[in-house]
Amino acid sequence: MKRGKFWAWLTFALGAAYFIIPLLATMEFAMRMRRGTYSFDAFAVVFGDPRFQATFMYSVVAAIFTILLGVLIVVPTAYWIRLRMPQIRPVIEFITLLPLVIPAIVIVFGYIRMYGSNSPLPFLGSARGTDALLVIGYATLALPYMYRAVDTGLRTIDVRTLTEAAQILGAGWTRIITRVILPNVLIAVLSGAFLTFAIVIGEFTIASLLNRPAFGPYLQNIGANRAYEPAALAVITFVITWGCMTVIQLLARFAPKSANRPN
Amino acid sequence: MTTDITRIEPGAVVRPGNPPARRRTARMPTHWLGVAPFFLFAIMFLILPTGYLVVGAFQNPQGGLTLANIAALWEPTIRAAYWISIKVSFASAVLGALAGLAIAIAIVRGGLPGWVRGATLTFSGVASNFAGIPLAFAFLATLGRLGLVTILLKDVFGFNLYATGFNILSFWGLTLTYLYFQIPLMVVIITPAFDGLKKEWGEAAATLGATQWQYWRMVVIPVLWPSFLGTVILLFANAFGAIATAYALTGSSLNIVPILLYAQIRGDVLHNPHLGYAIAFGMIFITGMANVFYIWFRTRSERWLK
Amino acid sequence: MPDPFLSIQSVKKSFGETAVVRDFNLDVGRGEFISFLGPSGCGKTTMLRMVAGFEEPSAGRIVVDGKDVTNLKPNQRKIGMVFQAYALFPNLTVAQNIAFGLNVAGTPRAETAKRVSEMLVLIGLPQLGDRFPYQLSGGQQQRVALARALAPKPRLLLLDEPLSALDAKVRVSLREEIRQIQKELGITTIFVTHDQEEALSISDRIVVMNNGRADQVGTPFEIYNRPTTRFVANFVGTLNVLEGQVVDAGAGTIQVAGQTIELGRSLAGRSGGDGVSLALRPEAVSLGRTPGRPGALNGTIADVHFLGSVIRVRTKVGDRTVSLDTFNDPALPPPVSGSAAEIAFAPRDLMVLGD
Ligand SMILES: Nc1ncnc2c1ncn2[C@@H]1O[C@H](COP(=O)(O)OP(=O)(O)OP(=O)(O)O)[C@@H](O)[C@H]1O
Ligand SMILES: [Mg+2]
Repeated sequence: MKRGKFWAWLTFALGAAYFIIPLLATMEFAMRMRRGTYSFDAFAVVFGDPRFQATFMYSVVAAIFTILLGVLIVVPTAYWIRLRMPQIRPVIEFITLLPLVIPAIVIVFGYIRMYGSNSPLPFLGSARGTDALLVIGYATLALPYMYRAVDTGLRTIDVRTLTEAAQILGAGWTRIITRVILPNVLIAVLSGAFLTFAIVIGEFTIASLLNRPAFGPYLQNIGANRAYEPAALAVITFVITWGCMTVIQLLARFAPKSANRPN
Repeated sequence: MTTDITRIEPGAVVRPGNPPARRRTARMPTHWLGVAPFFLFAIMFLILPTGYLVVGAFQNPQGGLTLANIAALWEPTIRAAYWISIKVSFASAVLGALAGLAIAIAIVRGGLPGWVRGATLTFSGVASNFAGIPLAFAFLATLGRLGLVTILLKDVFGFNLYATGFNILSFWGLTLTYLYFQIPLMVVIITPAFDGLKKEWGEAAATLGATQWQYWRMVVIPVLWPSFLGTVILLFANAFGAIATAYALTGSSLNIVPILLYAQIRGDVLHNPHLGYAIAFGMIFITGMANVFYIWFRTRSERWLK
Repeated sequence: MPDPFLSIQSVKKSFGETAVVRDFNLDVGRGEFISFLGPSGCGKTTMLRMVAGFEEPSAGRIVVDGKDVTNLKPNQRKIGMVFQAYALFPNLTVAQNIAFGLNVAGTPRAETAKRVSEMLVLIGLPQLGDRFPYQLSGGQQQRVALARALAPKPRLLLLDEPLSALDAKVRVSLREEIRQIQKELGITTIFVTHDQEEALSISDRIVVMNNGRADQVGTPFEIYNRPTTRFVANFVGTLNVLEGQVVDAGAGTIQVAGQTIELGRSLAGRSGGDGVSLALRPEAVSLGRTPGRPGALNGTIADVHFLGSVIRVRTKVGDRTVSLDTFNDPALPPPVSGSAAEIAFAPRDLMVLGD
């Protein structure tokens, strides 16, 4: 027991070192900008850069649309499957896992070839259309996470019973979805939303290949041309990711606990 | 968990007043209507685009069937790119899985205080999503030529890291960087699997005279092995498709498949669009085969699972 | 007991500040079937786990077959254990589960196979060796768990509420089966339960535990009919408790609700005027004078419950309620609530409760 505890502490300490040292080093590097002293100059430069503000805002908006699209596609589907079509669940689950197997670069390559300006669906023919395709690509990337989060949420609340109870009380479909199901899976949807946000905000491959002015390509550009700003940007991105994960954890505390099932 | 739902036949919830005959005819279409948007989305933006590339990989520019594109994947530069990609993905997946496993065991079984577990899991959730370009920046600031660790090693310990042949832009540099998201991903996925091991199994084994090692060999490892292997495959695919980190870290100096494909998409550097399709097909083929192997293994080894 | 097989000597166990087992003493003879009976949280599991070696006693000794095992690890004790939640290894078939202990000990293959099929016959599931645990019912799983525990021929068998996850019918048949197998093998057994009927029906002796102590140790007959503490009397079976006052301790005269009754024996350690609690089982009380039950008290019938072959009558004696059971007699009208009644009992069935 004593010996085991020693090894456990050692493993933990090694892991902690591997994960914390790069963060400290990055912070230190970002603060080296002014010669001879530590300063937050790099952060000031980054925040003051209009391109930072523009690309970051662009990615935030893209993330919001991605979340909306993801919710629109995933929530009704997951609900309908739990309620009426459990037999096709394996198919749906398989499809939602595909983006983990097919690399993003392959998916976007397919988009570029299929939806070019001369194709029947010329998404790439206009800037708005390309924005839409970017959001669609992001929704595909986030699909596995969104689906899992929502499905888990639906499982704990037992949608079938809730729906039947609402129907017996005379509720119509709109009312059932907006008043019964959504409030109960809201937490799960929000968890999925923040995870989506974390994935999408700094995404590089799709945005770059679609030539969108997003945060990811901006990061890459700064990385290729500047010395200290990239480190500052890495710190900022880490803080954003951390924030998203913290929100998800906080949300989990408010998630409805399984009420009418023993496990 | 889902048995109670599957047991009830679909359509059990019917509004009163519908005559059975009408219901039957009306049922199929309305049912499928509920999932139609999802399938439409999946087909248009996931399956067709992928299928387009796969088909293109077997066509020549005139649209005729050919294996020449696939054969061209064996050209030295392309083959080398696949080989490096596979090596980096494999090394980062296996090392990440083992390190993640060790950390999971330490926090679940090591008798460490409760906050260690909570803190590790929270941090792992963050780090597993901290990938892409910023991760490359972080490692450049750490182990690059002017990175903190490089400088500290030189100034404090008199150890010149770069004199040993180490380079952050190399195979090992990239692997070390990928581990930053691979290890936490393993921790996040495998920790719940450890929680699924019942305390009584260990106690039953002990009363039956088993040593700790025998218990692990005969019960713990067989029970966890499928989840472990599944996660390794996931980590492999995760690294295999990743491009941003490598691109920001090395520019195009490290010739891995996604970077090659990226260059091809941007500028047709191979002067053959269909060769690009073949490269994409090769990527899907490799991650797909890894998954097929996993599914085959799982059905074979998990007869004891429902 | 002259030569106990298992001897638990002054064992104590605390988790931090809270004492969970306090000064527990018990001698168990070879081949005996002992039940630990007590309410939830009284320390039954903790005591059992100390015998198994999963918990270390804070004080005291545990001796098995003349050897002190207090500091041995669980896997060195040669003890079989059956858990409430079966705890079968999910990745192993029934036969592999049963063979586990033998494999671990390096038993030759042929011998293991022979022992496994013996055990499968013993638990009545000879055709199920190749199934996986999830393919078995709860009762079958628990039988396999029993076979697994018994296969390496342990010196002691410990069962911690092995039946409480099963439904009522299976529970009764399986407990009889367990007892049957235990007798056949002559294995010394400790069985933890909080179901008194279970304990009464299968044990050689019962240990009634209360708050970390063994309140009373005795045969089911002694525990039920001669409880020595108020706790045991209350916990085991239904009980009517009457409060009285000692009139003459030497002669055993007591006053209850203004009426005098003779105990027929002296009340040790009490004197005239002391309060005293008397207990009577419902089946030891009859309605109206009955031969062999000379004691009597007057009261009124409060209510009558017709239960089929038995009629349970609740009578008021003073401010106390006395329940009694009479057999249904189709020829007689049932008792009527509100009417006066005389209840009769044998003075030797009156239990004087200690505190
Ligand atoms: N590891 C532990 N740490 C602290 N307290 C414990 C621990 N294990 C048991 N206890 C406490 O010791 C007391 C006795 O527990 P035990 O499990 O022995 O009860 P039990 O008689 O088996 O009850 P039940 O019939 O509910 O199984 C309980 O109050 C319990 O909360
Ligand atoms: Mg218990």
